Amino acid sequence: MPNISVTINGTSRSVREGVTILEACQIAGVEIPTLCYHPDLSLAGNCRMCLVEVEGWKTLAIACVTPVTPNMVIHTHSKKVRHARRTVLKLLLASHNVNCPECERNTNCELQALAEKHNITINEYQTSPKPVSFEEFSPGVMRDNSRCILCTRCVRTCEELQSVAVIKPIGRSSAVRISTFMDRGLNEVACTQCGQCINRCPTGALFETSEVRQVWEALEDPDKFVVCQTAPAVRVGIAEALGLPTDRSTGQMVAAIRGLGFDRVLDTDFTADLTIIEEGYELIGRLQKALLEGDASVKLPMMTSCSPGWIKFIEHKYPELLPNLSSCKSPQQMFGALAKTYLAKKEGVDPSKVVCVSIMPCTAKKFEKDRPEMNSSGYRDVDYVLTTRELASMIQEAGIDFRHIGEEKYDRWMGASTGAAVIFGATGGVMEAALRTAYEVVTGKEIPFNGLNVMPVRGMTGIKEAAVTMPEKMAHGYEFLAGATLKVAVAHGLANAKALMDRVAAGEADYHFIEIMACPGGCLGGGGQPIPTSPEIRLKRAEAIYQEDSALHYRKSHANPEVQLLYAEFLEKPLGHHSHELLHTHYTRRD
Amino acid sequence: MAEEKRILLGEDQPQPGAALTKALKMSPADVVFEVRESAIQGRGGAGFPVGIKWNLAGAASGANKMVLCNADEGEPGTFKDRVLIERFAWKLLEGMTIAGYGIGSHEGIIYLRAEYPYLIPVLQSAIRDMKEKNLLGSRILGTEFHFEIEVRSGAGAYVCGEETSLIESLEGKRGEPRNKPPFPVNSGYLGRPTIVNNVETFAAVPHIILGGAEWFQGLGAGKHAGTKLFSVSGDVGKPGVYELPMGSTIGELLELAEARDVQAVQVGGASGSTITPAEFGRTLAFGDLPPGGSVMVFGAGRNMLEVLESFMEFFVHESCGQCTPCREGNRRLLDVVESIAAGKVAGGAELKPFFQLAEIMRLGSKCGLGQTSSNCFVDIMNKFVQLPGGKEGV
Amino acid sequence: MAPTPAELARSLVRKHGSGRECIIRILTDVNHELGYIPSEAIGVIADATGVSDAEVYGVISFYSFLSTKPRGRHIVRLCSTISCKMSGAGDVLAAVMDELGIGVGETTPDGRVTLETTSCLGLCDQSPAMLVNDAPHTHLTPDSARGIVAGLE
Repeated sequence: MPNISVTINGTSRSVREGVTILEACQIAGVEIPTLCYHPDLSLAGNCRMCLVEVEGWKTLAIACVTPVTPNMVIHTHSKKVRHARRTVLKLLLASHNVNCPECERNTNCELQALAEKHNITINEYQTSPKPVSFEEFSPGVMRDNSRCILCTRCVRTCEELQSVAVIKPIGRSSAVRISTFMDRGLNEVACTQCGQCINRCPTGALFETSEVRQVWEALEDPDKFVVCQTAPAVRVGIAEALGLPTDRSTGQMVAAIRGLGFDRVLDTDFTADLTIIEEGYELIGRLQKALLEGDASVKLPMMTSCSPGWIKFIEHKYPELLPNLSSCKSPQQMFGALAKTYLAKKEGVDPSKVVCVSIMPCTAKKFEKDRPEMNSSGYRDVDYVLTTRELASMIQEAGIDFRHIGEEKYDRWMGASTGAAVIFGATGGVMEAALRTAYEVVTGKEIPFNGLNVMPVRGMTGIKEAAVTMPEKMAHGYEFLAGATLKVAVAHGLANAKALMDRVAAGEADYHFIEIMACPGGCLGGGGQPIPTSPEIRLKRAEAIYQEDSALHYRKSHANPEVQLLYAEFLEKPLGHHSHELLHTHYTRRD
Repeated sequence: MAEEKRILLGEDQPQPGAALTKALKMSPADVVFEVRESAIQGRGGAGFPVGIKWNLAGAASGANKMVLCNADEGEPGTFKDRVLIERFAWKLLEGMTIAGYGIGSHEGIIYLRAEYPYLIPVLQSAIRDMKEKNLLGSRILGTEFHFEIEVRSGAGAYVCGEETSLIESLEGKRGEPRNKPPFPVNSGYLGRPTIVNNVETFAAVPHIILGGAEWFQGLGAGKHAGTKLFSVSGDVGKPGVYELPMGSTIGELLELAEARDVQAVQVGGASGSTITPAEFGRTLAFGDLPPGGSVMVFGAGRNMLEVLESFMEFFVHESCGQCTPCREGNRRLLDVVESIAAGKVAGGAELKPFFQLAEIMRLGSKCGLGQTSSNCFVDIMNKFVQLPGGKEGV
Repeated sequence: MAPTPAELARSLVRKHGSGRECIIRILTDVNHELGYIPSEAIGVIADATGVSDAEVYGVISFYSFLSTKPRGRHIVRLCSTISCKMSGAGDVLAAVMDELGIGVGETTPDGRVTLETTSCLGLCDQSPAMLVNDAPHTHLTPDSARGIVAGLE
């Protein structure tokens, strides 16, 4: 498209024809307020915050949708525009339950920020305050509709990004509300608990089910032995959640968590490595049964099972494909099961006194820990799950100065990590970690990618494919794979998962192994991560993850010395009796 | 008005099919040209030049173009389309078929409001009749041209009279207006190039084809083109549908309808203008009093504040709820009107924010509903409501 | 034996088609047949047309003539817009409410009649007016309206 000339606030600009007024103004360095606009989503054009004046038009135009045309003359803060903007903002505030000090999004709310920016001190349209309409919807996601401004970002997220579509506008006129089928609770409909709606809500209408109070109680109970596990993606999100630039801050995070009073600060990366070994041998076993022995009851492609939002999705939508899932628990749940058995023994602690808290970039993990079958240790394997955001609030409440705190190391037995584990936080990471290990197991050689970086499975493309061809000479026992080409696929975001599953269900997907992450970007974009989210932010977090991988001493899961010790002292061997008891699980049809 | 100038509802009616026969002998481009030259503006209320709309749709790239008839007549006080369908359904069908020929479409849908279920058999019967006469279906009048018309019902939503809401409803969704661009002529029903026109517009088309653009133009008063139907109701001796030259004065219409002792007239429905007897010399035409078709007359004894309250209740009920100014604005205007009616508002500075709100609704709402719903508030408060504190910001 | 709501929905999907654009036609027919749209029917329609059940519920909740709550065998819709109001719709409504013993939005205990008010019916030249199911009734008086609703079986 050629460039055209438009005038913005009296200054002539050259912009590409067809860009929106909003984009043209961004290029020109002119800020226009928005609310229903989000870079990840389709254009709604319903909030009307971005109204601007276009000379010659009978009405004001909305900048987010309106394309520029040659010689368009635009005013972004004329008297008419200012009045319109203030009126729209006042109308939104007047229908919003303004109780900022008690709101989860206090100081990180787009409506609040706009009110502050526009100095709304008097609201002539204010009637009586709306009552809180607080609904305990589900283990992971909660809602207060009295704060909803009906921007529909949550609706578009659930429909477009996740293809779940359980929340929609219901009713008409000023009685419109965002709700579910027959207004049922989120835990009564096919909500996957992924929390992507929370990440894109501009206000405090959506938030996670908090477990902060319970965790403080456990920490303040002298009787309890409280251990913490931290997910890979948290270490690249926690700084953001505390108002600092995106960066990896593992050492500081460990120090801060220890400062909160946890008895042990341990790493979910440890069980991520464990998952790779269990799942790697599971995959090899399936390949053997399906390809060598021709066992039709063994299903390929095998699919990863560490993303609980994805698990709930497949349980609702593709229950016939449940046999394809790996039987491995997620790293979080493997950790919990071992914390109350293996770790308790190592520490000489009564397992009934162990409280396992996990810090996750995820809201579906709150649902996962409550799954009835997650009690192989004899107790609830994981007691509480905190999001990255909840951890940040605890660090702030404790007065810990994150910027200046020193770096500390994880405690032993379940705190060692490898690069393969930390990349679990990015889409393609589980696949890459699995390939680094599985290839070496079956060939006896390192996977032939420069620096062990399996680039084809990295990046933000929605569905990625890769193929790895085995050499002719294999390790002993794996000769049946000589010369074979292993085909893999990676999808992130449930809309992409759906596209891939439709092909699998139709028999059109000839992969051997598929990684699915429910959240766009993988766990680094999880429903529990800092708000806001955008393609740029997720890319920055991914960069930090891969930097962490390169900087770690061990790059392959099977090299993790604590994992090796675990097998030697406790599990005996991959897919052994103890593994099956503690580390593997089953799924539930929800159709 | 002289009988010979009543074309839509007059005694002298063309034969069904006569216009279509003539049109099919013209080129599609010439058909569109004729409509364009007639200067007919959309008869649903928005008044967009019909020929220009057809031209754009004809030029648009995309297959399976659509001709949609907006029979969602929901503006309070409007019943002209009902009468047209009751008496001359064939004219609507023929107009749609000619439109299809002109823009290169073979598929028409009549979106009939749910409140007119008794007109479904009327339309179905007319469709059957046209098919038997070879004026609809395949190989129309022995030519290669084929056109099908389907009747589909709305489900009770005034906002579906807005063209993009209508299309959303036909697509099986909530009737919420779309962002424009894209415009329906480029991407409408199921993404296809689509024209949406009012019943009366399509009914006028056979007359335009038969009489010619110049003749049609000449039917209007002054510089205005064609005739217009008006549904008159309220405090009048003879409620009903009247056909007058476009550009006639409101006074002329009131005379015909035997309106006496008039306090106010609402022209163009709840979203139109409220005028006083001093304004009876104004013309019913785009550019003066936009003539959607509804004319409601309020006699001397009527409480105009109650009328306003009724209009605002209507808009609160019918707003789709999608955009902030309309969803929240109509509610607040109704609230303040109820407060005024209850004697709780002295006037003066208290009202200024609401007149400002009315303006912002006009400038910032996503569709015509929100853009025009505050007109009655401004007009009636301005001209008919006295308050002790005066009205600041009027 | 009458079909279940799910069977009815399935047969209407077969009749109208399973494209998303067929949803309102299907919903209208279910609504017409049963007086409302039960949740089981919503599930079938959602599955058949490839949209979520929340989406279908959202569509139903948008339109005044569609309901997810059971309604009477007959639906009386009295126009409540200004031209009808000015010619006495208020008295007509009061008479009908008295005759049926219910308020607006309610259904008689025997499931016979649901009473609703509605926006302009386009019968302003013959006001006051009401729709009883698909039939228009005009030039109403309190007495004529009583007679009409009393005669509904």
